[in-house]
Amino acid sequence: MITVFNAVLIILITWLTYMYFDLREKVTPAQDRYLQLIDGVASIIDCLEGYDKPHSQEIARLADQIGTASGLNAEQLQSLRAAAMLHDIGELLLPRNLLKSEKKIAGDDLELLRTHTLLGELHLRTQIAGLDEVPSLIRWHHERWDGLGYPDNLKGEEIPVAARIISMADSISAMNAKRAYRSRQFAKSEDIVAEVKRLSGLQFDPQLVKIWLEIGSPVETKQK
Amino acid sequence: MTLRLQSAWLFEAVSEIASVDSVFFPVIHRFSALNWLSRREFSLSVNAVIASQAMLLRAWLDGKNGSFSDKNRQKFNQQIKNPLDMSMNPFRAWKDRWFDSQQLDYLFYWREAAFEIEEESQREIFWSVVYQIMSYWLSNRACEISPDCHPDEIMGLMLSRHQSFISGRDAKIEITNQSLDELEAKKAGLVVFPLSLADDETPEVTLQIFFDAWQNGHDDLELSRRERRVQLRKFQINIERSNDYYLFTKLATNAQIAALVWSGIDLPPTFYEQQLIRPLQKAFEERYSNSRLLMKAVDRSSDAYDYLLLFY
Ligand SMILES: [Fe+2]
Ligand SMILES: [Fe+2]
Repeated sequence: MITVFNAVLIILITWLTYMYFDLREKVTPAQDRYLQLIDGVASIIDCLEGYDKPHSQEIARLADQIGTASGLNAEQLQSLRAAAMLHDIGELLLPRNLLKSEKKIAGDDLELLRTHTLLGELHLRTQIAGLDEVPSLIRWHHERWDGLGYPDNLKGEEIPVAARIISMADSISAMNAKRAYRSRQFAKSEDIVAEVKRLSGLQFDPQLVKIWLEIGSPVETKQK
Repeated sequence: MTLRLQSAWLFEAVSEIASVDSVFFPVIHRFSALNWLSRREFSLSVNAVIASQAMLLRAWLDGKNGSFSDKNRQKFNQQIKNPLDMSMNPFRAWKDRWFDSQQLDYLFYWREAAFEIEEESQREIFWSVVYQIMSYWLSNRACEISPDCHPDEIMGLMLSRHQSFISGRDAKIEITNQSLDELEAKKAGLVVFPLSLADDETPEVTLQIFFDAWQNGHDDLELSRRERRVQLRKFQINIERSNDYYLFTKLATNAQIAALVWSGIDLPPTFYEQQLIRPLQKAFEERYSNSRLLMKAVDRSSDAYDYLLLFY
């Protein structure tokens, strides 16, 4: 059930991603411009998801900070950033009313929503060659450290570190965001710190929690 | 022992060849890896490598065992008011190195409590939730993070997670715990061999060693490690010994498709092609006429790829 609107978006995003990875190799100065374009496209995903703030940009910056502090190399950071920006691209392939739902999603609808990890991966992998690990990172952005996430129930270090970072950055960013179906979960930063610590070893990699605390537990990062 | 079983990917590939409604896993590395499959319309036959893993499979994947009852929750998830006498604690050697004294009090109490639970399936759920709690405590401790959550609170939380994990599950699942020699081929359209290539001790293996020691009521990790090694020997296949391949073909007897999955780390794909894929192709040559290799990049910087090799 893909609407025309969604189809146009998917084509647009695929094209921009392609341009980004194509030009990344050839023209370095253009890289920033295309990153900004991806930012713009990612903000459409944010709108569709019902966020009240630039969620994708925020998690990409947050992921970048945690990734840098974790000692990822330049290649890993590049994939991390691209996957963070496009992590929910698979949601564009789902019916729009599902994402705009004002109720908490459950049952079959929840199962359907969860397929966005697989759809996002599959779409990027089949449409754009040379994305390397980016589609895999998108597939695993909802895995949990304790093995009870989805879609593959990977556990601990089986989950590539970049996917663990995206998952944590995604959740932290969502903690103080308003969504269509719920109000802001935590307004104060100390409440977010307590919640992240509570989820250490359950949803989050304890090592990454430690790193996040060491870099001052950023939640909303300013654009450089 | 890193192994990423990507079930949806496996089924994308398999469905291009044939439609399959039953799957046989002669070994499985971890219960939760089967979550995706057990929530779909497949009938599954799964063989666990060690007894405690078979128990975890029954408790977390077989929906007919349900969740831990409210009555049992109230009875067996009590808060310990005063610290217990550590000299009586069979796990005291782990103190401060692996667990703090409060955690050890609860490990002691939970083990005793488990024996009081009448129904076996309820007891197995309780045991298997302790497995998750040990995992949570050990991984936080490895990073010097002390969780604020009180042990009885975390027990309550894990029991709820178990409940939501198990709900709505009506998988047809047969769970065994046999060595590869004893194991017979099952009537299944697809047989899947998840291969664990290295035998170094991952945190998951360490966890299994702790859990088995705890369940047996002692703190001797070396003993637990040795026992596990003996068990595992029955599942080792030496790629250089062609006789060992007989096991693969024997277990695949009834299957229309045989799949081998593994995660390769730190070595380039060409290594796996020469060392693993070619010998396997040779071994399966008489049984299947076609093969197909698929791979996905996981992290190029560390040469990590996931592989899927299908014979049909
Ligand atoms: Fe997502
Ligand atoms: Fe998100």
